[in-house]
Amino acid sequence: MIGKIKNKLKEVNNRNLEQKRSDELYAIGALFDTPDEIMDAAGKTTEAGYEEFDVNTPYPVHGMDQAMKLKNTMVGKTTFIFGFLGTTAALLMIGWMSGIDYQNIIGGKPFFAIPPAIPITFELTVLLGGLATAGLMLTLFNRLPWINNPLHDTNYIKQTASDKFGLVIYAKDKNFNIATVEGFLQSIGGKSIEKINFFEVREDRVRTPIFDFKFIALLAVVTVVTAVTAYGILRYVLFLPPFDFMWKQEKVLPQEKSTFFADGFSMRPPVEGTVSRGYIPYEYQGLPDSVVTLLANPLPINAEVLAKGKQRFDTYCSPCHGYYGEGDSRLRGQFPNPPSLHTDKVRQWADGNIYHVITNGQNVMSSYAKQISRDDRWAIVHYIRALQRALNAKDEDLN
Amino acid sequence: MSFDSTYTRELPLVPERSSFKEIDDVIFRPVEEAPTRKWFIAITISSLALMIGAVALANTFYFGIGTWGNNSTVGWGFGIVNFVFWIGIGHAGTLISAILYLFRQRWRTGIARFAEAMTIFAVITAGIFPVIHTGRPWLAAYLIPYPNQNSIWVNFNSPLLWDVFAVSTYFTISFVFWSVGLIPDIAAMRDRASGIKKRIYTVLSLGWRNSNRHWQHYERAYLILAGLSTPLVLSVHTIVSFDFAVAILPGWHTTIFPPYFVAGAIFSGFGMVATVLIILRKVYDMEHIITLDHLEKMCKILLATGSMVGYAYCMEFFMAWYSGYIFEQFVFINRAFGPYAWAYWTMFSCNVIFPQLFWFKKIRRNIPIMMLLVILVNVGMWFERFVIVVTSLHRDFLPSSWAMFYPTWTDLALLLGSFGFFFTCVLLFVKVLPSISLAELKAVTENAQPTHKHHH
Amino acid sequence: MEFHNKALPGKVSRIGFGLLITGLILMVAAFALDYRRAMFDYLTMFMWLLSLGLGSLGLIALEYISGATWSTPFRRVSEFLASLLPVMFLLVIPVVVGMKELFVWTDPQVVKSDAVLQGKEPYLNTTFFIARAAICLLIWVVFYFFLVRNSQKQDSESIPQYTKSNIRLSAIFTPIFMVTLTIIAIDFMMSLFPHWYSTIYGVYYFSGTLVAAYSALTLISVLLKEGNYLSSRINNDHFYSMGMLMFAFNIFWAYIAFSQLLLQWYADIPEETFWYIIIWEHSWKVVSIALFLVHFAIPFLVLMPRSVKTNLKKLKFMAIWMLVAHYLDLYWLIMPAYDHHSAVFGWQEIGFPLFAVGVVIVIFKMKARKTNIIPVGDPKLESGFNFHL
Repeated sequence: MIGKIKNKLKEVNNRNLEQKRSDELYAIGALFDTPDEIMDAAGKTTEAGYEEFDVNTPYPVHGMDQAMKLKNTMVGKTTFIFGFLGTTAALLMIGWMSGIDYQNIIGGKPFFAIPPAIPITFELTVLLGGLATAGLMLTLFNRLPWINNPLHDTNYIKQTASDKFGLVIYAKDKNFNIATVEGFLQSIGGKSIEKINFFEVREDRVRTPIFDFKFIALLAVVTVVTAVTAYGILRYVLFLPPFDFMWKQEKVLPQEKSTFFADGFSMRPPVEGTVSRGYIPYEYQGLPDSVVTLLANPLPINAEVLAKGKQRFDTYCSPCHGYYGEGDSRLRGQFPNPPSLHTDKVRQWADGNIYHVITNGQNVMSSYAKQISRDDRWAIVHYIRALQRALNAKDEDLN
Repeated sequence: MSFDSTYTRELPLVPERSSFKEIDDVIFRPVEEAPTRKWFIAITISSLALMIGAVALANTFYFGIGTWGNNSTVGWGFGIVNFVFWIGIGHAGTLISAILYLFRQRWRTGIARFAEAMTIFAVITAGIFPVIHTGRPWLAAYLIPYPNQNSIWVNFNSPLLWDVFAVSTYFTISFVFWSVGLIPDIAAMRDRASGIKKRIYTVLSLGWRNSNRHWQHYERAYLILAGLSTPLVLSVHTIVSFDFAVAILPGWHTTIFPPYFVAGAIFSGFGMVATVLIILRKVYDMEHIITLDHLEKMCKILLATGSMVGYAYCMEFFMAWYSGYIFEQFVFINRAFGPYAWAYWTMFSCNVIFPQLFWFKKIRRNIPIMMLLVILVNVGMWFERFVIVVTSLHRDFLPSSWAMFYPTWTDLALLLGSFGFFFTCVLLFVKVLPSISLAELKAVTENAQPTHKHHH
Repeated sequence: MEFHNKALPGKVSRIGFGLLITGLILMVAAFALDYRRAMFDYLTMFMWLLSLGLGSLGLIALEYISGATWSTPFRRVSEFLASLLPVMFLLVIPVVVGMKELFVWTDPQVVKSDAVLQGKEPYLNTTFFIARAAICLLIWVVFYFFLVRNSQKQDSESIPQYTKSNIRLSAIFTPIFMVTLTIIAIDFMMSLFPHWYSTIYGVYYFSGTLVAAYSALTLISVLLKEGNYLSSRINNDHFYSMGMLMFAFNIFWAYIAFSQLLLQWYADIPEETFWYIIIWEHSWKVVSIALFLVHFAIPFLVLMPRSVKTNLKKLKFMAIWMLVAHYLDLYWLIMPAYDHHSAVFGWQEIGFPLFAVGVVIVIFKMKARKTNIIPVGDPKLESGFNFHL
């Protein structure tokens, strides 16, 4: 079994890869042994007027560019252009993304500043410059890839890849003539002069199976189908992450049945003693007045507080207590009159006692804690004190 | 790639006058022959290390960064240390292939291709760590500024983002530089091969036919790529140093970090390159191409860059005192005498003290001692990153936040795995592609260039 | 040897002495008018001359330890420039004399009320300062003496021993060079702002020094080539390399300058940023922007194309440009200590650079009279001449 596989692999490996050649001549090549010879040869070829020719060496030979009278290469200019494009692109990108579109104050720095933009700008300059250099050098300037160049698989190319130097004159040169060129190459010392023909291009034969259209199409279809199916299954059927879009979470949904609690309710009442936000319990709730003496009026006595107290008193207290706290309310007997607020008892009460009555309620008076805020209650207390003083003024108050 | 054959010193570049065919055979031998036993043993060991790392990686992905030793105080541990370490190693490759090329140091020829390959593998290894240390690496695409539904962009002010651009660019350009350099050699392999290998090489070589019209553009592109790689190398490790130096943390925030990190990277990189080359030349009998002279030169560079690192240590230390900044002063006292003093003194001795032995020519030309010293350099530089990251974090401004960092088995396994990954890649490379640049080497042999000039 | 071992024309002496005397007169007048301002100007000039002298010695060492041969034909130029170093012993005297004007930490009253300066007192005190300066100068002069002596002796006996000896000296000198240069940069320039500090400062001055030294080398080499003092075998490739190194080291300078800026800008720590705030306000802002343009942006764009680096006239122009840029750099580093708010520039400032250039020319002429302009005995000279890219 393994033997069969091995043999099959060998057979595939040794399949005759020599491609047939047509009868059309592409070029004539000659080999030379030393760098000096090829330099001379190149010089003479240029002088002889040939333009469509080339030199093939295993490594770049110094001075050959001048011998072949080649123009200066423009690769450097492309580097500069694309590098500059990289710089501009980076600055525009950062400037727009950070400076305009998505402004965030980060570390107190301005939205767009030059110093932190420099590293990325530099990198993109180098990136674009480098990629353009390599890419354009290969594609634009060298017209590569050209895999089935007629020079391949010839003795010429094999030798010049190893240890010989070659000169080749193309058939498309305007001065080309087979006999003349052969003679010329011999005269300048070329050896192994070889005629190189184009490859035979058969319409029905596929040269390299990898690039067969049907194969690539099949590959593409399989890829697309696989990708779509996989995506579909993951996304719509299995809901595997990241396609679960956080639908399944560990939290409890309202009204959901609970397997954890015995009574099956997942919604639980709040814990004993829970209060709503902002609620401050009144610790003297329901207790007799006498314990309230510790409460002190936190508000200062000033015009503002008194005005507030008056407004609140007039609103909430005056219907029963009257505008001056004397108990002569507007209700005129429809509701029991409260006692006057100017009795000795009330006058000698601490502020906290009065506050306690408003908050707690007393006898027929209900608690006003829900209608009047704590601060307002204290303001009312100050106002009541002012009323009490008004009805019991001393002589100096009149001046 | 044109070198003047008269620009020479005592160093003969291909000492034994080999014919080009012999050079072909020597260089292509590891590629064309079946793997040797030594190679199999080596790759078994490295694959084992790699698999241990892979298990640790799976552990990290499944359970999260809690499997690492990081804590609130020491938020960056082995992950970042390993990242900086491997990026540093990558730099030596670029330095050898690009910077020495620009300085017309022809002795680089025998080791340049290999060094470039090491760069690429080191950068890949390094790049793994920032991705996995995020905790949710599957969201790594968020690092790239692309239009998205949340209408947000990445934080361009962050050095961590600069790292993304820098490391990606570095990898891309190094890969391009390496690939471009490989094209002529793959073409040569194509012309020697048959069967499936030939087809693969045909495609990969893009139809290169050694035409001088092509060489002209090619040489210029190669020079430009070398010229671009040089500032790129400096910028990448500078940006890595910015990760630390832009912070206000004492021990991190010091302006000398950029050149200090670059010098340190070159130092550690050369240490690794030397380690690997000493082994390689023995295993593949390339002692006459990667000669003792090459190794001696590398030792001199190690001495120079190690001294630069030492200079930076002294500057930091002096400035900590000079600044009068008590927190900075404490960092240095803590480094030398605190709970991680053992790491500090390992670093100091391996990076500054032992490399001073390279002043002596006898040591520079003694392979066993050299091997020990370069391994110590690797160790020392790893510890340098450890000292910088961990000792600065673990005791900073507020004593109530002080904590110790202890690596977990996952941390150590990932470190081992990174070495496994790197060496596996290197060993595969040595088998698949020529590890010495054929065309460059031929170009610098004696009598490779014409004797009379027709220019200027 | 097909170079002309002819003496430099008398015109050089005349120009040299002319500049020197004019500069001296203006300098003295400046000192008379505003002692403090002149002192700062003098310090700027001193550090510029030091860049040339010490930097050139550094270039010599660099050539030896890297084993480069392309620069061998020009090494003598660097040696002549390095002979500024013994002269520095004289030139440093006004700085020492004027220490009280320059450095606030010399004033005991200031130190008494400043806890930070008290902390630095073991380093920033007059005695230790002078001792450091003296020791550094001494070290430089000693290495200069031996390096140059070996090189000159090799003119008469062309034996490799001198080269080997110089390689050893250069290897020892290089780390010492970095350390001493850092010390002087910190002492003479960074301590002008004693509350400020930056670990990269030594490297910053080093990078500027290299640019200046290369520019001076390039300028003088081009001038010599034009006057046929150098061999005709020195070709465009040599100058291209020099231009390329000028370009590269300038980028290195910009890189160091940017690193320092970015890190201190980013961390935004008031103890550090106050220095950058000084140079970014009022008239100093103009100088800072000018520095960026003059020292980096313009030379970067101009020196990038290959054609400029092979054109001797353009190279000469850029070399002068870079020397001016380095002076501007030092002015930017030093003068804010004189006046935080305004960048002063008047006739007082002109005298100093004139004097400096005059000193360089005079020293060069003096050395050129007695010594060959090319190291004729150097074994690397042949391959240096044959250098081709």
